[in-house]
Amino acid sequence: MTALLALAPLVVALVASVLTLAVRSWPRFQRAVSVVSALVYVVSVGALAWTVVFAPDASALVYQVGGWKAPFGITLVADALAAFMLAVSAVVVLFTVVFSVPYIDPENQQVYYHPLFHFLVAGMTGAFLTGDLFNLFVWFEVMLMTSYVFVAFYGGARHTAAAVRYVVLNIVGGALMLLAIGGLYATVGTLNMADMAARLGAPGVDAAPVVGLTALLLAAFALKAGLVPFQFWVPSAYRAAPLPIAAVFAGASKKVGVYAIIRLYFTVLGDANVTTEVPLVGVDSPLAFLAPVLLVMGLVSIVVGGVGAVSRKRLDGLLAYSSIGQIGFIVVPIAIAAGTSSASLRHLGVLAGLVYALHHALAKSLLFLAAGTIRDAAGTTRLAELSGLGERSQVFSVTVLVGSLSLVGIPPLAGFFGKFLVFTTAADQFATARVAGSSIVLGVLLLGAVLTIIYATRVWVGSFWGAQSDRVELATLDGLQVAILVGLAAVVVAVGLGFEPVYQFADAAAEAAIDTEGYVTAVGPGGEP
Amino acid sequence: MTTTIMRTTARVVVPIVLVLAISLFVQGHNLPGGGFIGGVLTVTAFTLVYVAYDLDYVEVGVLGRDVDDDVGMLDHRTVTTYRRMFTFGLLVVVASGLAAIVPGAQFLAQTYTYVHLPLFGEVELASAIIFDLGVYCVVVGGLLTIFSVVGNE
Repeated sequence: MTALLALAPLVVALVASVLTLAVRSWPRFQRAVSVVSALVYVVSVGALAWTVVFAPDASALVYQVGGWKAPFGITLVADALAAFMLAVSAVVVLFTVVFSVPYIDPENQQVYYHPLFHFLVAGMTGAFLTGDLFNLFVWFEVMLMTSYVFVAFYGGARHTAAAVRYVVLNIVGGALMLLAIGGLYATVGTLNMADMAARLGAPGVDAAPVVGLTALLLAAFALKAGLVPFQFWVPSAYRAAPLPIAAVFAGASKKVGVYAIIRLYFTVLGDANVTTEVPLVGVDSPLAFLAPVLLVMGLVSIVVGGVGAVSRKRLDGLLAYSSIGQIGFIVVPIAIAAGTSSASLRHLGVLAGLVYALHHALAKSLLFLAAGTIRDAAGTTRLAELSGLGERSQVFSVTVLVGSLSLVGIPPLAGFFGKFLVFTTAADQFATARVAGSSIVLGVLLLGAVLTIIYATRVWVGSFWGAQSDRVELATLDGLQVAILVGLAAVVVAVGLGFEPVYQFADAAAEAAIDTEGYVTAVGPGGEP
Repeated sequence: MTTTIMRTTARVVVPIVLVLAISLFVQGHNLPGGGFIGGVLTVTAFTLVYVAYDLDYVEVGVLGRDVDDDVGMLDHRTVTTYRRMFTFGLLVVVASGLAAIVPGAQFLAQTYTYVHLPLFGEVELASAIIFDLGVYCVVVGGLLTIFSVVGNE
């Protein structure tokens, strides 16, 4: 029966989307169903996390969909890593659904907003849970299909242009991903991730194309995560989508790309016995290939995102650029983990990336939702027209302050631990290998932190201090929206204050991510169908 | 496109397409075919009718009902039915997947049995056809909604 828990979040999201579609003639009831479903989703994820990580006899849950055993059927694997990512997105999902009810106008909510939202959640959940590479592609597509509609949701010229760009880019990305998965299937002979790990770990395996094929997958995942050089869709898509959806994009669905990189490279290819020479990089394993590539992508993302955010005129554009930079902070420790030969540093790197992902999900969705409240109240997100918000509503200002300070990394907020672990990883790497590269990494991280302080200060000075502008004077902040923001800000503070269990959870997730053997044993491929 | 040649061709072709669609749908669980292909072929038949005649033909010509011209295409009676069909299909798909859990099997698990019918002899009854029916409804409802609304613009 406990194995059903691995399936529960997925089924809850699917049932929620179908139910909200079926009851759309009764708008109030539909909204209630949507919010209740999100609550049930959080409860199911919580139960899953308890069983997988915190319970006395905790172990990974495996569910064979349709009764077809691995490696022939599609397997759902809920290990600590999947549970951690699900927990991160569940928090974001709950707050954004509740926020959407007072924010999106009722007519638009009825037009497929809630069904699509839950389909988006189903896509993310499936991507986190699946243990099958092709199935991962399918869930990516489920997520993208709904994202397309959300980017074009308001239907104006700007939104349509952003949607077309987004669609074309992701179709190319999807084609690359499919090509790579087909190639991997032809090379390794399986699509089940555990089976693939087992086969690639066997001695004397001949799978030289794997490095190149996974590089294609890396491109598709980086596109999803919005890493430089695939970041250019991010600002226009985030600004076009409804702001609660932008919160989900930045908070949760970007993390799917990061999760896929960790899962593929650390869990599946971590022990891979593949030796190839790659021109320029000169590499002997997929992880060693990932390290320099991801490191450069992450560092450039930090700089591009930071510099871009500093020069934006609108709050939502600023947040979109900021999330490019923050994704850089997530992948840099992961890249360091991939490049090191020390087991403890590898663990620390992945852990730092995961904790930072959690912090970014909370803080960035809080800020995007706050931007929504501002747009709703003042009719604009242009920073120059927003001075004096601090005077207008102190409670609201405090929530934004909490989000901004967490982004900057002030203790005791969640962001402090994220930044702290990232810098610890980079410093450890610097201590073990005193090469020029390590000091550059530290330098860029520091630059990124300074840029974060600059744009967070800009938001504060530009729109909260000073005399009230005309728009702000006329603005009325929605009480319910502010209450939801206070709730999310409380979560940011709570994660920071009660960091012990969160650390324990992330620690288990990082352990699961690099424990290829444990993953293979849990799934147990190679049995009779 | 409403030429005599087109209309005559449609009259001949549409029944054949529909029969083929049903046969593909029914054999889908163990031969090439299934809900998706069957659904797409059915949509082709309807689209042929739409092209040869017009969007109101099914309502006026076949069912003999009046059409309310004042409402938008999305609220057109036929299109409303298509949209209901889409939702119904999704419900069937999810419900058929969940139904397997009740007797203790895995989500989406399928089974089959043989029944003996008087004239047909041994007939295989597969539970997968219920899932396929859901897929069929989703495909037909979804595609025809799109074709009607986009075709109207």
